[in-house]
Amino acid sequence: MNQEKDIATRIVLSGRIDSTNAAATEHEIMNQISGREKQPIVLDMTDLQYISSAGLRVILRLKKTSPDLSLINVNPEVYDILDMTGFTEMMSVEKAYRVVSVEGCEEIGRGANGTIYRIDQDNVVKVYNNANALADIQHEREVAKLALILGIPTAISYDVVRVNESYGSVFELLNARSFSKILSSSPDQFDWCVKEFAEMLKKIHSTVVPAGKLPDMKEKVVSWAEFMKDHLPEASGQKLLALVNAIPHDDHMIHGDYHTKNLELQNDEVLLIDMDTLAVGHPVFELGSMYNSFVGFSEYDHGVIKKFQGFDFETAKAFWRASLAAYLGTNHEKKIKEVENKARIIGYTRLIRRAIRRNAMETDSGRAEIELWKSELIDLLAKTDSLLFTRNEVEIDALNENLPQVISFIEEHLDEVGCSPKIKMQIQIAAEEIFVNIANYAYRPDVGKASVRVEVSDDPLSVVITFMDHGKPFDPTKNADPDVTLSAEARDIGGLGIFMTKKIMDDVKYEYVDGRNILTLKKDIS
Amino acid sequence: MLNIEITPNDNALLVSLGGRLDTTTAPDLEKRLSTDLEGVTSLTFDLENLDYISSAGLRVLLSAQKQMNQQGEMKVLHVGETIMEIFEVTGFTDILTIE
Repeated sequence: MNQEKDIATRIVLSGRIDSTNAAATEHEIMNQISGREKQPIVLDMTDLQYISSAGLRVILRLKKTSPDLSLINVNPEVYDILDMTGFTEMMSVEKAYRVVSVEGCEEIGRGANGTIYRIDQDNVVKVYNNANALADIQHEREVAKLALILGIPTAISYDVVRVNESYGSVFELLNARSFSKILSSSPDQFDWCVKEFAEMLKKIHSTVVPAGKLPDMKEKVVSWAEFMKDHLPEASGQKLLALVNAIPHDDHMIHGDYHTKNLELQNDEVLLIDMDTLAVGHPVFELGSMYNSFVGFSEYDHGVIKKFQGFDFETAKAFWRASLAAYLGTNHEKKIKEVENKARIIGYTRLIRRAIRRNAMETDSGRAEIELWKSELIDLLAKTDSLLFTRNEVEIDALNENLPQVISFIEEHLDEVGCSPKIKMQIQIAAEEIFVNIANYAYRPDVGKASVRVEVSDDPLSVVITFMDHGKPFDPTKNADPDVTLSAEARDIGGLGIFMTKKIMDDVKYEYVDGRNILTLKKDIS
Repeated sequence: MLNIEITPNDNALLVSLGGRLDTTTAPDLEKRLSTDLEGVTSLTFDLENLDYISSAGLRVLLSAQKQMNQQGEMKVLHVGETIMEIFEVTGFTDILTIE
């Protein structure tokens, strides 16, 4: 035992404390703190291997004489004992950080704030770039917990370790493969990856975050736009700021760095990782960063993507396009392009600012890259009037009272293409009949979700509305048509809805796929 | 939104509808008729301002027609082109008296 000259009295404990030496240990501690009992006392337990209940009683008595007591550098075994006995609740107990080496370990991910290595078959460690990362680690742990509680499947770190001069957080990730790895090693899995990648994105963006729990992405993007004013022609700079300012506050979650290295397949489960950039905001902010990950970063030098993701530029571009289409719920090229252009405005703004701040203007290639992004951005700003967009698909509780929402959602998309009032009414009638049918029967007596998708396709101009639910399998097209020639007295009240739908629409198709009723309505609107 | 305006005149009743007669609004009309039709021998629906009708609305018209067949007569006025088409498709042009 020795004592260091510090504001707090620091006492180093080593070896074992049990019934054979507890009394002697206690005596010695009391000697050392004599006269300073009410000052802070720190017990450094770096070399303490074991503590029995006799030893715990010593600490308990010490806590009574010296209320400001803390234990530091506690090894995992001793920590477990302290935790089990409730000592961790009574006083400040700080674990000793395990030392982990990542030498020769496979790098499985790299984000803005750190690099992820696989340290053994079951575990990975995220090593933070910032040497003083304890606050960052704490932040990431908190937001990951929040995400998990809100229903987003993610991994939460269970340990903090030292890696050289930095800190790392350790996660359990068994047999997991990132989507980047799947895409580069199994091109035949492309469609599956797109589907899962888009599904997760929809899930994130439909998650409402309680106020104040996550930073607001809009504030950050406004500051980027303000930075850009000095680097763009005046009109472009003003337009950019106005467009960003016009984006309304949105309390839905965005990941902030959503790309295929941050999505892992663990056994059959898809997990989102690298949660430190979690925020709230309009989905266009997310799409902007996604555009950069797949396309923007490598737009000048197509080789960049391979180093980062493991697949080539063409694959990245195709994946981005296909994911965007799946996310929006449309194959309509014009709509996809339109939303992509909005995303590019956010994306280029971020890329140019980032490059300038990293002194890219000092090299030829840096200047050329910035010039390319800048000319695209100026072009896009001139032809864009809003950064807002709506997806072509909504998911909603299948309840009759939600009918007006479904109808106005469909109407909004029909208005986008321009459509006669008569056809609009016919489509609404069909949509009402199908939605009400799901609301009344699919989940009865429970309540479940229905998804509605509206797609427009050209040549001939037609609209396809798809209803999906996870309720009881039911094929409404099999319903017998009512006899419309009967008199009022003989007519049954009911059965008309499906019949009208079939009459009004050009095509009504039913499928039952993967536990889902899928009803597709098609109508020529040219 | 459905606008329902009911004008009684002795044993006659004029029901003017405006807006949308659909799943969410049809129950309102049904409720009004269930009390107001008592003793009525001549029922008239004016659909001039009706923009939209779905099968839920058709069902209310059908049951009103059934009831009026027992106690008098019913007619429907000012049916617009798009709603007329719905009546045609469903055979309601043969059931209702449309003027």
